[in-house]
This record gives sequence, structure tokens and C-alpha cells, in this order.
Amino acid sequence: MNRSLTRLSVFFTLFILSCTTVAKKENTADASIDSITNSTNPYVKMDQSPLDLSWCPANYPIEKMKGNDSLKLIAKLTYSRPHKKGRALFGESKDNLCAYNVPWRLGANEATEIQFFENVNIAGQNILKGTYVLYCIPHADRWTIIFNSNLSTWGLHINESKDVFKTDIPVTKQEPPIEDFTMLFEDTPTGANLIMAWDNVKSVLPIIFSKGK
Amino acid sequence: MKRITLIFIGSLFFALGSMGQSTIPAIDKSPLDMSTYPVNYPLLKIQDKAQEPIAARILYSRPVKNNRVIFGDLVDYNKVWRFGANENTEIEFFKDVTINKIKIKKGKYSIFAIPAQDKWTIIINKDLNSWGSFKYELSKDVVRVDVPVQVTTEIAEAFFIYFEKAKDGFAINAGWDNIKITLPISM
Repeated sequence: MNRSLTRLSVFFTLFILSCTTVAKKENTADASIDSITNSTNPYVKMDQSPLDLSWCPANYPIEKMKGNDSLKLIAKLTYSRPHKKGRALFGESKDNLCAYNVPWRLGANEATEIQFFENVNIAGQNILKGTYVLYCIPHADRWTIIFNSNLSTWGLHINESKDVFKTDIPVTKQEPPIEDFTMLFEDTPTGANLIMAWDNVKSVLPIIFSKGK
Repeated sequence: MKRITLIFIGSLFFALGSMGQSTIPAIDKSPLDMSTYPVNYPLLKIQDKAQEPIAARILYSRPVKNNRVIFGDLVDYNKVWRFGANENTEIEFFKDVTINKIKIKKGKYSIFAIPAQDKWTIIINKDLNSWGSFKYELSKDVVRVDVPVQVTTEIAEAFFIYFEKAKDGFAINAGWDNIKITLPISM
């Protein structure tokens, strides 16, 4: 009797512990976004869809600080991160935030920009080093990814006459769904993949470059 | 005992399940932000309201006070500080400018600061794409300029940077908590 009671109490302690760990984590995540965006500032308000950086290779500045000199900087991506907040994102209807067949800024606020520090190859095309605006046209089965040369601009009213390159990439299911729009680079044997994911949609842009220093 | 082990492993998996998104970066606690001169240039540009071309753009991360004592404690006096959080703050000049009578060619630079009680030393430096000021090198400085500290009555919970029009060009205003500085830049 005593032994089974001990077992039961151990079980419940562990179960409750694991539950509170999960709950705590989610609560702090939500609370931190709100407390950040609602924090007082008489000069410059915090952005609802904060800007973020993604590096290729991942975390390049931290790796460089740690003394990892073998890494070569390939790309730096600057994008804003909108939250889903219960809205319908990708879909046929014009009411969708990222409606099919309509250009979308791949972020929020200012246009998303990618800087390549050396020439790379995307879908068989040589992309010269330099900075580009990046946007997409979402469809049900694919995204058209577009590089544009009109820099330092807001993400809406894209000037299509400045498009320099476009390529179609397939769309896959993002599991589990993501609340905050996310772009990140993942290492591949021939270069890196630029992963773009929001809600239950994910697309991958393969980028090819030489790995040698 | 076997059952307890099984239950323990089960709970462990349950807890680990919440970490399924581990490769997906969370929203940063000190989020990045952008400031431009002219102020709000990207928005003005798409409305065809920009009266002059973009002159400068800053990318900086915004640490939050969170009830902490900032200057003299979290940020040491008389030590090089990254003027933000995370990656060190960077400024791009789209034309040549002058700071403290020193001509600076258009291009990208990092900004550091050495806060003291009565003045801040602002540093424009050539190092780019770095984290913090841990590997700051004096030899890469382009200009250093001392600016007085203004003590404000209003508290800024998050570090801020904004531009404004000024004599001969524009100025960078920056601050955190009850401290604010102004750096004049001429074009």
C-alpha cells in the first residue's frame, strides 16, 4: 500500500512538474511579446512586429565572437516578424492576410532585405553579391520568390519594374504551426537552405555557394 | 520501480514535446529596430512624399529596463558598450558626412559608446557583422566624439535611437532609462 502510494505521488509530482514547465514556457513567451511591445517609451515605441536578423551561416556574429574563424559570412537577412494572432494567413480569399497571387513582403513594415557577401547560385542563376529586397507571391502549391533592387523601402507597393530575379519553390506543411513569421538559414552539403515558415506553411529556397574559406 | 522509470520517461517526453520548435528562433527579448534619416523614409518613399534621398539608416537592438538600474550598473561607466544589445549597432551613411570635423565616407559602420556620468563618448568604428563589443578594436575607430548627458524626467523603458533634422544636417538622439544624448552629423 505504502509503495503504491509512493509510486502514485511520484507520478503526480512528475506529471504536474512537466505540465507547469510547459505552461510556464508558453505564458512567458506570450507575456514577453506583449510586455515588450506595450512597454512605455516617450520617444520610439516598440514595434508590434519586431525586426530580426538571420545569418548564413547561422549565428555568424556569435560564432565569430567565440573565435570560430573558419566560418565565412555568406548572407545577412533583415526582416520583420508579424504574429498570426488568430488571423487567416494564406488562402484563396482576398481577406486572407497573405492572399494567393498577391505580392507579400515576406515580413512586415519595411521591405525584407537580404545581403549576399559573395556571388551565390539560386535555381541555376548566378546572383551577384550585394543587397536585394526579397518578397514573394504565395500560391496554394508554390511560392514565387522575387529579388528586387529597390532598397530602403516599405514592404507595400512593390516596384515590380525593379525585379531582378524570380524563382518558384514548392510549399510544404509546417508542423507544428508557427505563431511568429520565421526566416532562417540551414546548412546543406552544397550551401544553405533559406527556410520561410508561418502558421502551417513552409517553403525552402536552396542557395548554392562554395563552402571553402 | 520499473513502472516509475516508465512514468518518469513518459513525463520527460511530455516536457520535451514542448521544445519541438527548438530550431525556430523565438521573438528576441531585445528586438531589433530600424531608424532612418529622413525620419520614416521607407514609408515616405512609397507615398512619393520623400523630399530628400535617404541619408542614414541605423539597425539596433532594444534592450528593456525591466526594473534594473541601467547606467553605472547593467551598463558600466567608462567601458565600451555596444549601444544596444545582441549584434552591435550598425549605421549606414548613404552619402559622405562629417562628425566632429572628421569626414566619414558613405558606407556601413558600427557604433559603440562609452557612457560616463556626465558625458558619453560615441565611437564610429569599421568592424561589421559582430556580436556585442567583446572583440572591439580601437584600431578600427573612424571617429570618437564626446557628447553631454541629458537627464530626462520621462523614463524610456527600452533603449531608443531616432534621427531628427538639425543645423547643417541631422542628429542622432539615443537614450535609455532617464538618460539621453544627441550626436550632431553634418552633410
